[in-house]
Amino acid sequence: MKMRVLWLSAIACNGNAHSFLNYPYIEQFLNDFEFIYHPIIDSAYSLEDIVSNQIPCDILLIEGAISKQFQRADISVVNIIKNYSKIVQKIVTVGTCATFGGIFRESDYENTSGLHFNQEQLLEDFQEIFEKTISLSGCPVHPEILVNTLYSIKKSANLKLDNFLRPKEFYAYTVHNGCTRNEYFEYKIDNHKFGELEGCMYYDHGCQAPYTHASCNKILWNEVNSKTRAGLTCMGCTEPTFPKQNLFETKKYGHS
Amino acid sequence: MIKLIEKIEGEAKLNFNFKDEKIEFVDIEFMSTRNIENILKGKPAFDALVINPRVCGICGHAHLIATVKALESCYENLQISNKAKSLRELTLNFELIQNHFKWFYLTMMPLFGHKQEVLKATYPSQLMGKAIALFGGQYPHTSYAVVGGVVCDITEMDIIKLQHYIDKTVQFVEENLLKMDSKSFSTCKSVESVLKYEGDLPDILRQINAEELLEHGKSYDRFISFGESSYFKKGKSIKTRVNNNISIDNVKESEMATSFAKNVSYKDKYYEVGPLARAMVNKNQLILDAHKKYGDSIFSRIIARVCEISQLLLHSTKLIKELDLNEPSYIEPSINIKQLNASGYSAVEAARGTLIHKVEIENGIIKNYEIITPTQWNLSGGTREKMGVSQKAMIGLCDVKTAELVFKTFDVCSVCTTH
Repeated sequence: MKMRVLWLSAIACNGNAHSFLNYPYIEQFLNDFEFIYHPIIDSAYSLEDIVSNQIPCDILLIEGAISKQFQRADISVVNIIKNYSKIVQKIVTVGTCATFGGIFRESDYENTSGLHFNQEQLLEDFQEIFEKTISLSGCPVHPEILVNTLYSIKKSANLKLDNFLRPKEFYAYTVHNGCTRNEYFEYKIDNHKFGELEGCMYYDHGCQAPYTHASCNKILWNEVNSKTRAGLTCMGCTEPTFPKQNLFETKKYGHS
Repeated sequence: MIKLIEKIEGEAKLNFNFKDEKIEFVDIEFMSTRNIENILKGKPAFDALVINPRVCGICGHAHLIATVKALESCYENLQISNKAKSLRELTLNFELIQNHFKWFYLTMMPLFGHKQEVLKATYPSQLMGKAIALFGGQYPHTSYAVVGGVVCDITEMDIIKLQHYIDKTVQFVEENLLKMDSKSFSTCKSVESVLKYEGDLPDILRQINAEELLEHGKSYDRFISFGESSYFKKGKSIKTRVNNNISIDNVKESEMATSFAKNVSYKDKYYEVGPLARAMVNKNQLILDAHKKYGDSIFSRIIARVCEISQLLLHSTKLIKELDLNEPSYIEPSINIKQLNASGYSAVEAARGTLIHKVEIENGIIKNYEIITPTQWNLSGGTREKMGVSQKAMIGLCDVKTAELVFKTFDVCSVCTTH
């Protein structure tokens, strides 16, 4: 039997929805899951049906940051979440905005945050559904991480979660693990001027890979690459602090 | 009557006014905005390279390229290698292509009563995503283009892989979209020669004819395109009269009382942007023939967007052959951004049309940032006296369902429109 999934977009760029479309085995996925609503894929219900009713549903996916002020089809996104969170087995925050607030924490809506966290701070709202939630941070979320989490829910597997409710099997690693530039980190070689195969970007260029929890160099993006392998610094997009400032610079202490 | 238009990267409300059973006016309302321009204020300039791809999940790469070019225009004597320029152009082409596949298969075909075939959209768009990720590390949301060039150092192995992704995408087009050889297609000069063939594109074009929709979706018949590349030309086309001498100084953005989408005009007139506009400015023979027969209608808009897939795939192959891998990917700017007090702008062709970024920097910090998206040109509301492009295209239609089809032929993106 197909599991029924509601994909709800809050204050978002739809990047997670498009990242999901890059899942290579999407045909298999759609045999096992049915979207009662998705921002792009056709569904049996319209957005107006979804927000004004309580359509039977197993998993609620939330993409985008959350504010009481923000509405979908004239209904507050907070109310939509409250309505569905009662009936679903699990709630999954898809992306850094839905998890920690992310980029759109700074949007023009009042008190914008993630579902349970405002950056690292745990919020009181939605405490009643805390136990039901799994966080999948990332800007965007890697489609393999989203799909495999949904299959784990379908199998009723017991996922071990970290303090931010992120499954350890995807977030116990750092982006540094598996980076093809690791040896340059070990030997502190940062002669990197961008556009070169050699060199680590940690020492001068602000790379956050050694302390960012994500599987980017374990489960490659689009099955081919990662930012750090390509030569771009890790921006720390799975962390509550994303986006920090001065992303292309390493802060230096104690000497000029 | 008010209709909620959804699955357009967000939603819009269309308020239809009927007179004598025909649409007399349509109010367009986009209900939410995130205001990225405010988020950028006070941030270090280079951070815009990371924030701006997050304007949109489907054309974030165009926002990256627009950002890097706007920042680069703040410098004097900045050097960019031809290799870096070509790589940026290639990855932008690939983003346009993935968008067009998704639009045709996920949005357009269901509106013509066909079942949504998700795999026909995702298979080729995933190949294009891989092609971007090869250089950019990931897709969506890479920041691989930086001031001075690109971050990747590509090898012959990358080029071989890239050509395979392109060849597989061409094969998909030839087996599904238009069952003819792509090279022959590129030289097609008449609509009739396309309609002789089988494929999802000619099927839809024939359906437009059979359902008597050929006259639908006509607007001002004015087109504009600012983003220049080795493939696209800059210019405006009023009907078929092309003028390449246009200036961004004449582009004006104005606030709307009823919607979060600001509208955009050129010398106080509304122009259509996007693949049809680009083809008209570029004087593409096939699209000129479609335009000659059916004007700026849904027929011309659809054939122009889908044709661009094949044209950009062929042009990308040409660009790859001309790449010189010995050139540097990145040339470090001689001035630190923290010493810059300057302003600049850029225009690039995104999937849906001309995208403009303007930036003002003080000691390397963003003082002001303005973004004008393609969908603002096409979809923002005007008044009854002076309607916007898509508003005008819906006037005179008899039903809301056809109006939604016309509206969506502009490839609506709500998150971009409001940003």
